[in-house]
Amino acid sequence: MKNKLTPKNILFGLLVCCLPLLMYGVDRIALFLSGYDIYLGLPSGDYMLRIIVRACLYMLLAIGLNIVCGFTGLLDLGYVGFYLIGGYTAGLLMARLGVTYWVALPLAVLNGALWGLLRGAPTLRLTGDYFAIVTFGFAELLFRIVKNEQWLIGGPNGLVRDIPPPAIFGLTFNQNWHNYYHILILLAFVVFITYRLENSRVGRAWVAIREDEQAAESMGINVSRYKSLAFAVSAAIGGLGGAFIAQFQVNISAPFFEFWESILILCMVVLGGMGSIRGAMIGAAILGSLGEILRPGFIVPYQFGNARYLIFGIILILLMRFRPGGLILKKA
Amino acid sequence: MAQFLEQIINGLVLGGIYALIAVGYTMVYGIIQLINFAHGEIFMFGAYIALMLITVFGVPFWVALPLSMVLCAVLGMLMDLIAYRPLRDAPRLSALITAIGMSLALQNLARMIWSARPRQFPDETLPTIFLSQNAISLPGGATLPYRDVFIILLALVLMVALNRLIYLTKIGKAMRACAQNSVAANLMGIRTNRVIAITFIIGSALGAVAGVMVGLREVVTPTMGYYKGVAAFAAAVLGGIGNITGAMLGGIIIGLAEVFGAGYISSGYRLAIAYIIMIAVIVIRPSGLFGKSTGKRA
Amino acid sequence: MRNWLIGLLIVGFVSVLGCQPQDKNTSETQKAQKELKVAVAAPFTGNAAAFGEMIKRGAELKEKEINEAGGINGMKLTLLFEDDAGKDAEASLVAERIANNLQILAVVGHFNSSCSLAGKPIYQRAGIVELSPGSTNVTVCEGSDWTFRNLYRDDFQGKFIAQYIKKILTDLESVAVFFDNDDYGRGLRNAFVAEAERIGLNLVASEAYDRDNTDFKAQLTSIKAKGPDAIFISGLYSEAGLIVKQARETGITAQFFGADGVDSPDFLTIAGSSAEGTYLTTPFTFGAADAKAQQMAANFENLHGVAPDTWAALTYDAVGMIADALEKTYNSEASVADNRKAIRDHLASLDTPEEGYNGVTGLTYFDLNGDTVNKPAYVKIVKDGQFTAADQQLRELD
Repeated sequence: MKNKLTPKNILFGLLVCCLPLLMYGVDRIALFLSGYDIYLGLPSGDYMLRIIVRACLYMLLAIGLNIVCGFTGLLDLGYVGFYLIGGYTAGLLMARLGVTYWVALPLAVLNGALWGLLRGAPTLRLTGDYFAIVTFGFAELLFRIVKNEQWLIGGPNGLVRDIPPPAIFGLTFNQNWHNYYHILILLAFVVFITYRLENSRVGRAWVAIREDEQAAESMGINVSRYKSLAFAVSAAIGGLGGAFIAQFQVNISAPFFEFWESILILCMVVLGGMGSIRGAMIGAAILGSLGEILRPGFIVPYQFGNARYLIFGIILILLMRFRPGGLILKKA
Repeated sequence: MAQFLEQIINGLVLGGIYALIAVGYTMVYGIIQLINFAHGEIFMFGAYIALMLITVFGVPFWVALPLSMVLCAVLGMLMDLIAYRPLRDAPRLSALITAIGMSLALQNLARMIWSARPRQFPDETLPTIFLSQNAISLPGGATLPYRDVFIILLALVLMVALNRLIYLTKIGKAMRACAQNSVAANLMGIRTNRVIAITFIIGSALGAVAGVMVGLREVVTPTMGYYKGVAAFAAAVLGGIGNITGAMLGGIIIGLAEVFGAGYISSGYRLAIAYIIMIAVIVIRPSGLFGKSTGKRA
Repeated sequence: MRNWLIGLLIVGFVSVLGCQPQDKNTSETQKAQKELKVAVAAPFTGNAAAFGEMIKRGAELKEKEINEAGGINGMKLTLLFEDDAGKDAEASLVAERIANNLQILAVVGHFNSSCSLAGKPIYQRAGIVELSPGSTNVTVCEGSDWTFRNLYRDDFQGKFIAQYIKKILTDLESVAVFFDNDDYGRGLRNAFVAEAERIGLNLVASEAYDRDNTDFKAQLTSIKAKGPDAIFISGLYSEAGLIVKQARETGITAQFFGADGVDSPDFLTIAGSSAEGTYLTTPFTFGAADAKAQQMAANFENLHGVAPDTWAALTYDAVGMIADALEKTYNSEASVADNRKAIRDHLASLDTPEEGYNGVTGLTYFDLNGDTVNKPAYVKIVKDGQFTAADQQLRELD
């Protein structure tokens, strides 16, 4: 990664840093222009920020999934399982035990990593389709457990409710722009870590495993160890995303962690090009906000909820057929 | 005891349905090593096509059923032609993702066309034998509708027929050859693409029958292929993927396990039982209960 | 280079604007507005879309009636429909979209309890009323001054069904629960089970099912073995229809009960003749309602060509309550925030039967949480393929 202080980069950095201010600024201009007389239909700053925060969260998750799917070349269909574990770990700790977010967050990450290892151990030998199926089954099982075990997730209705916002020195962070900077820091951290990993011994070992497991083994790479590491890091990032969504949404319940969420994240990774961090982020930015961008303008709005996944499906098929490397062309 | 017997019958009927779907998975996997996720959607389309033929076009049931089989066979063949064939030499991951995309697209297409609302075959359009009041009375007040008997018998007959097809006919031989080594089969003058297309056709037609049967017994919804498909896939894995007899036995075992798990252990985990069996089989014995242990199962 | 500088300047300028104190909600006043906008948030796609459809129709009828009668103090009422797909993640986005649209004065919605809960913190922060015509989960209105609902809670409903069985259908001695394994089905089941234990109803079985599953025979067979006199289905109409149908095949002769989730004409089409004799509770039924409700039903059929259901009626009333509040409190000189607050204060002031809003679904007034108090539940029975009000209703609960 070569970083240069070109005007383009400076502008981009400034944009990222001032995005909330920019959004609120646009908001005010829109207000001024419309003067309440005409409804411009422009989304408000808070609404746009929320979309952006969600897109950033998806970026984080896509980067996490990309470690297993892109770097080690294994199809993980149950990534949402770690997201769920992170969400419930943080949510339960905060809402039930009153643990502060700053403690719950690392615990959620650790718990995610732990489950990544637990799931990884029996699947180390598996490749391809069988790995995909086991991961799928794993996430579905977790989903069922969350739905069934009331003693664990408590409440009369299988919800973790009223998760308090993070607070420090009497300041609580529950505004959208708080969440924006919050996810931005987490995202920057994750991007940094994964870039470092990708360009290290570990990253090269992963790619070697992806290209040819047996050859990698014979070159002296400890395949099991590097695979386990990939599972753990990937799952830890999932847990991180879960902890964030818990405080972001305030109430979480099982439907957040449906199987389709896994597929959505997979679509993001595939769209951007598997094995590319930047690709995963761009894929997540596109698919994570597409639904909301199309919401006001779509001709048959009520059908769109269904059309969305139809379009995702077609995107997957077409990409695999014509651009298997994703939109961001990087040798896969 | 009466309860136990009834549960066995429930399990057998469910297992028969799973077996019919599982065959589609296992045949395709046996030949091109691809989990055709969209097979469950073919099954769902089978039910919808028959339903539309009957309710919209007024086609009698006994015409609608084979017609739906034919249309689904075409759909399956097209799916192979458009989505899977171009990827024959691509990495396996690409084909797998395509299959997921196909499943996603078809399921939501159905939701757009027919909405998520469950639909039923109207009673008056069905042959009287399929109505739920026409049933064998069992001790204990339960009834076994002829429809369910038909499902089990049909599953049996089709299984035997399929088995004969594979072991006694020329095309069956070609299929087995492709399953063992498609490159070598190609060199021997077998047109592998045609054999694969025929595999898709047979699997899809059987899936359509199963879809119509489930539609008769339960309801037709856009997600029916997904849920039944996952259980059927578990059955295929359990029977040793690629093994047709195994798929059938696997279907029956999964059906029974699901019913007994729900009836005696915990009903909240009913759908999870298939997953648990599937994971256990893959992790402990990837070749399945009835599969040959070839050592390399990827 | 110059282009970048210009870009930088624009970004900086707009950002500085955003830096100014967030006073948009308080200081800027609305200019005279010919339209008053209210959002209706419900699942118009997804698995609960059938409910959303009726909600939309009910709301449209009220909108049309109000506007034909001259609007609200001469101003037109405009409804904006927003789809939450019945998913909480979508609902929180929709909530943010609505809450920060300074043209919208109040929200009717959401339908699913999980969606109402997802929207609650956002509506609370923005200070806009959320009036749900469908969320029955116990916790929906807790902890927020801005959340209301015009129907009963699950704990009331579960209690009601248990007491109805105990008091009115005295020959039913043992009951079983068959519940949908989600927030709605479980919440209702828990309330029912707790009350059944309290009043000494003999609970013999409690089994779960998952939505989207369509074969229930395994669970039904094991329920049958316990021999209950009555089975309470705590779930939604599509599964309930199949359950009733398959139960008859399994040889179950017990009396079936359902709650408001079963209250949809689709239940009858799916269950067919097996639905006959099923009891269900509902926040409202046209059969036991007054002339005003019959009039509304007739108008509804004129407009939409189908008969209204419970949700259409409740939404009709919810829109009516908001319109009523607007009529009494709306001040075109005041700021949006003040107008939104005035609606809330008006709703909160409806705290006694005398103050309550008298709509087609009965008298609605709120307790401190924003829950509707003392709104009766009705019992319907399926007779000759139709929902009709049961002969005996239960008015008083212990």
